[in-house]
Amino acid sequence: MSWLGRLASSAVMLVLVSVVLFGLVHAIPVSPALVVLGPDASADDIAQFDHEHGLDLPLATQYTSWVGGMLRGDFGTSLQDDTPIGPRIARTFPITLELVVLGFLFALAVAIPLGIASALWEDSWIDHIARLVAVIGVSVPAFWLGLLLISWFAVDLRWLPPGGFVQWREGVWPHLRSMLLPTVTVGFYYVAIISRMTRSSLGEAMAQDYVRTARALGLGRSRILVYALKNALTPVVTVAAMSFGYMFGWALIVEQVFNIAGMSRALLTAIFQRDYLMVQGIVLVITAMFLLANVTADWLYRVLNPRLSA
Amino acid sequence: MSILRRSLLAAGGASLGLHLLRPDLAVAADRTLMIALPNNPTTMDPLQNSNHDGMAISNAIFENLLEVDLDGNVVPSLACALPTISDDQLTMIFDLRDDVQFQNGAKFSAEDVKYSYDYMLDSKNRSIRRYIFDRIDSISVESPTQVVFHLKAPFRPFLQYQTKFMGIFPKGSREQHGDAYFANTPIGVGTGPGIFVDWTPNDQMEIKRNPTYWRKGVPVWDRVIAKIVPEESVRVAYLSTGQAQIISAPPPHQLAELAKTPGVTVGRKTALGGLWFMQTNNLRKPFDDVNFRKAVSCAIDRKKLAEDVFYGTISPSAVPAAREAPWFNAEAEATISYDLDRAKAYLAKSKYPTGAEFSLQVPNPPYLIDTRDAAVVIQSMLAAIGIKMNIRSQEMPQVLASMTAGNHVATLLPLMAPSDPTFHVQICYLPDQQQSKSSNYSNPVLTNAVAESYRHTEMKDLLPIYHKIQAILAEDCPHVWLGYVVVANAWREEVKNFAVNTGLTIWTRDVALG
Repeated sequence: MSWLGRLASSAVMLVLVSVVLFGLVHAIPVSPALVVLGPDASADDIAQFDHEHGLDLPLATQYTSWVGGMLRGDFGTSLQDDTPIGPRIARTFPITLELVVLGFLFALAVAIPLGIASALWEDSWIDHIARLVAVIGVSVPAFWLGLLLISWFAVDLRWLPPGGFVQWREGVWPHLRSMLLPTVTVGFYYVAIISRMTRSSLGEAMAQDYVRTARALGLGRSRILVYALKNALTPVVTVAAMSFGYMFGWALIVEQVFNIAGMSRALLTAIFQRDYLMVQGIVLVITAMFLLANVTADWLYRVLNPRLSA
Repeated sequence: MSILRRSLLAAGGASLGLHLLRPDLAVAADRTLMIALPNNPTTMDPLQNSNHDGMAISNAIFENLLEVDLDGNVVPSLACALPTISDDQLTMIFDLRDDVQFQNGAKFSAEDVKYSYDYMLDSKNRSIRRYIFDRIDSISVESPTQVVFHLKAPFRPFLQYQTKFMGIFPKGSREQHGDAYFANTPIGVGTGPGIFVDWTPNDQMEIKRNPTYWRKGVPVWDRVIAKIVPEESVRVAYLSTGQAQIISAPPPHQLAELAKTPGVTVGRKTALGGLWFMQTNNLRKPFDDVNFRKAVSCAIDRKKLAEDVFYGTISPSAVPAAREAPWFNAEAEATISYDLDRAKAYLAKSKYPTGAEFSLQVPNPPYLIDTRDAAVVIQSMLAAIGIKMNIRSQEMPQVLASMTAGNHVATLLPLMAPSDPTFHVQICYLPDQQQSKSSNYSNPVLTNAVAESYRHTEMKDLLPIYHKIQAILAEDCPHVWLGYVVVANAWREEVKNFAVNTGLTIWTRDVALG
């Protein structure tokens, strides 16, 4: 599929997600009016609230109005407190994005060397350690890992803060300290996934004929590794790109545990408050990030394997 | 010269380094009180705030004519003294302080009180607290320092309800700023010790010291920052590491361990208005039979729940009165408290002698206290007499919607209220009240007894009425009462002048940092 086709299919996907999302959010049984106005709200109060917020309009009208606003960059106003949603997403999105990017970089920085080492020294002590890391990574839930890290590194050792997000403007090191444990928590699961994928993919590549030929020709081990790695990384890129998208979901738990006021935590709050427009806006942003990660993966796939572009 | 330049460079470098590494030390040292709360409020507006945790901040911004002290006593605040009440109990005259000004510099007067109450009572403004003040007929201003409340009927609890559920703001401020301003950035519109600075939803709320506060000598802090930390273990970590100096709602199972931690104090106090109960719909099977309701009440071992599930953070009681309260009727409580043989006898007398099945709604995520484990234990206790209880986890809005509409069968829920003995009785068992349909119960004798209680203010007159109310309710058993919430806070040794508030909310005004 061409670049244009790929982008068009992503746009169609975004529209489909918006329809499904809108339908699901409006299928939630309790009216936002009841949540905002409290249990003693009269029928008149609820009707007035619905009218003021356009919730009494037909669903199709509400949907087109919402999408129209989004196309103009207007996310609407919160049903909870009538403040604009756009600035709130703009304030919280960079926090979540930074957490995900750091988690992603951490996962890559640990997983790829670990996977390479495991593949090169199969069944050695390093391979066993990598396998252990992978088992722990996929078995330990993020919230539990987060609490353990807080217990060890914040409470017992006092090296790092137990939670909270320190802004860059408050100092580089304090900011990085505040992000260290959340980064490890959000990325640890993907260390397991990506390292295993790297190991198996590189293991297969190292068994290929061209590697044997290269060895017979007397090429150096590191040179051979570069050739093999280029081929082995193709499936790893796909998994890594998918991981980047999924990390926005993990951020929801990690932001809750580490008390980080990011976009994922705002989503959780909005769900409990039945703040329809807020939920829709945030989920659509996350969907867009997921699609962007996939498009990027496609691009990298073609860079690593030029035959696909031919 | 070169030495001076070198010194300046060294100082600059040290300052930069300090800023990079520990900016908290680089800023001017101030007295900041850090507290950690479990819940994220949705508003700062005293007319709409139902979040008892968030009131730690909003109650430091807004004040009322009276307040309830840490021991639950009603004491004057913006009023000079408790009101003069007419013989027919229909008029309350408040003399106001003359030395109070709002945080925006405007002088506080009786006009502001009338304006604030009139605004709250106007149904157009949709205050969630309107229903508990609906016995106010009108308010008149006699002078800048005297305001008179005219009531439709005698209403003693009015005095208790003032502190948490209402605040005074300047005349004309709603038209000037709009309701959203009060909800999100109420700067300058209160008379309290704290001036609103910032609120980042899901993160933190911040107030600073009001330098013109009318009470002399307080507050002694410069700022209060309330961090929103939903995970209870993380709140404890905040306390352990000094990132918070006071935490609300520490995990019950860690209270004993926390109390032994050097430098940490744990305090508990029963909230006399924090009722935990099973709300049962008397129109729905099997709760349409009083003997069945009594069988359920007698089958639940509240002491075991309090000790083994809540680690002492519930004070067991089978009637809607805490056993620590002076108005607790032990005799009435004994008739429906835990006794398995009596439970079986009541069940045998009921329309469901071989047992029955029902669904219990449990809020998930929890509201105020986590009752999910308790629901499982209650399930096993009821199974012992042949009653099958199915547990349904529901989100709080759904729970409230089905209760207030009267659609539910049974709901396990805590409700936090002022310490007044009749608040829950009023809203749950009197006709046309907020939660009347949760039980669909009414009894004219009870209604009259509650109305009679509103005519008196002296405990010697009130005590027999309170006992009568509990006896009536124990006899009819419209709900299954389980106990009262024990409020717990933990704080570090540098915190002085702090005590647990019976009303759940952390009270920051008088706190000092040692």
